[in-house]
Amino acid sequence: MTNYVEIAGKRHRYHFVYGRDAIAVWLDGRTYYLPLARPQISTHHASGSTGGEVAALMPGKLLRLEVAVGDIVTEKQPVAIMESMKMESTLYSPKAGRVAEIRSQPGQTLEMGQIVVVIE
Amino acid sequence: LDRKVIQRVLIANRGEIAVRIAYTLREMAIEPIAVFTQPDKESLHVRTSRETQEISSYLDFKEIVRVAKDIRADAIHPGYGFLSENPTLAEECERAGIIFIGPQPETIRTMGDKLESKRTMQKAGVPVVPTWDGDPPANEFPVLVKAVGGGGGKGMRLVESPAGMKDAMASASREAAAAFGDDRVFVEKYIRRPRHIEFQILGDAHDNAIHVFERECSIQRRHQKIVEETPSPVMTPELRAQMGAAAVAAARAASYRNAGTVEFILDPSGKFYFLEMNTRLQVEHPVTEMTTGLDLVREQLLIASGYKLRYAQSDLQQTGHSLECRIYAEVPEEGFRPATGKIEIFEAPMGPGVRLDSGVGQGSIVTHHFDPMLAKLIVWAPSRDASIERMKRALDDFVLLGVRNNIDFLHRVISASDFASGKLDTDFIPAHSQLLSAPGVPPEAFVVASMKPPKASAAQDTFADVWASGPWRNS
Repeated sequence: MTNYVEIAGKRHRYHFVYGRDAIAVWLDGRTYYLPLARPQISTHHASGSTGGEVAALMPGKLLRLEVAVGDIVTEKQPVAIMESMKMESTLYSPKAGRVAEIRSQPGQTLEMGQIVVVIE
Repeated sequence: LDRKVIQRVLIANRGEIAVRIAYTLREMAIEPIAVFTQPDKESLHVRTSRETQEISSYLDFKEIVRVAKDIRADAIHPGYGFLSENPTLAEECERAGIIFIGPQPETIRTMGDKLESKRTMQKAGVPVVPTWDGDPPANEFPVLVKAVGGGGGKGMRLVESPAGMKDAMASASREAAAAFGDDRVFVEKYIRRPRHIEFQILGDAHDNAIHVFERECSIQRRHQKIVEETPSPVMTPELRAQMGAAAVAAARAASYRNAGTVEFILDPSGKFYFLEMNTRLQVEHPVTEMTTGLDLVREQLLIASGYKLRYAQSDLQQTGHSLECRIYAEVPEEGFRPATGKIEIFEAPMGPGVRLDSGVGQGSIVTHHFDPMLAKLIVWAPSRDASIERMKRALDDFVLLGVRNNIDFLHRVISASDFASGKLDTDFIPAHSQLLSAPGVPPEAFVVASMKPPKASAAQDTFADVWASGPWRNS
């Protein structure tokens, strides 16, 4: 059943649910996602590297790696191919550098945000 | 010809289409049997079935036919996707003495080969899009690389110049292999800003073939349809007669038996070309049903049982207008990335002229194992304008929370003035990129989010004070 609330003299229909990262608010037919305030997840290593982590953009399966540890890569170079819901997508290096770490292997199921490759 | 009696049908599919097929079977007093794989054991199509069978994969045709034999099913309905356009299932059925609810294996094989199907149509005098086996001449760019065994945008790449061919062929080929088990690709002339218009066809085992009018499916994202309608706003009686005749010629050329779809592209000058034939029930078949009164699944069953078509071309007519929106678990504002999660709240729209074909309900878990299409919202109204207004109202009433989805995006699409005036083409979404951004959050949404989660019964609260004195301002 739809809920209703009166705000400043006007009635509104609403629903809302808490998600992991946001509150989803359904209000009069539209849905809004309000990010939950949470501690900033640091992309910096203790060593002070600067955001060289390549993460899965959506849940899915890692199909192939295009690089190996030690490879020199340029910015926006493809580093891995994943498959989600039968569609291929490419993960790119966020910067020029060297492949420091491979954290996921082909065939592995990835969560959104899971780190695949680290560029330093 | 002898008629076969169908009493038990195994539905070799999942999601909304498995649910929808079962509706018609039950209305025909035929027993539906649902199949499911482990991740689907709590899915709606299983929960709504009185008879279910676990299988290891929706793609294992041998296992599916074996299960059908074991449970004494007379027939298998393949739905769409999965094995529906795989001739090996139809053949395996034939061998096992089970009726395959679809066309003959040879038809599926010929039409499933996107090159062979074009040759067949060319011979039958149906206009086709220029096509090459390998690299096209440099002056023919841009071109589309497509999967020979494909459909649904999978294994497809747009290539602007000869330099991009090699990479596009390789990646399309890999995607095609993964999606269809066939890595062959071909090249097709890319026609800029065409409309996608298809014709529903029905053919029986007695050499009768008719068309059941067109569907306009030009609103697409990633080469997949998201909004479909009939009649097409561009259609004239003359063009319908020409394209309908071509569709029936195509059905005859393929010796088509059962329900199928002939897809055309219509270029801005009004020329149309055969694109492909889909040898199955189409996702968007409900808009045809809403405007003709036919139940296409019932027609499929009757044709598969050996009956003659119940209608001549002149018996059919369309009334009013129907529009369908595909509800996807995806985030249009973030490149249409698929979304997953649990549907916490699900309230279906209702009212006159509203139909919801859904594969999910409250509590359903959406995973990345399957296609992200959750449901189809279909409306009927006496005119196109009324149909659009009804769809907007129905989308307004649709509550789906817990899994990100494209409901608001669909509302923006059908509210666009170019949509209202029927100026549609397959680049509509990229050409109206403002539709991809979500509007700002109104202050009332913050007010709601700050409330206690609502109780089931006493749901009313008054928040006038918050409005006046809270941290949110209507600036």
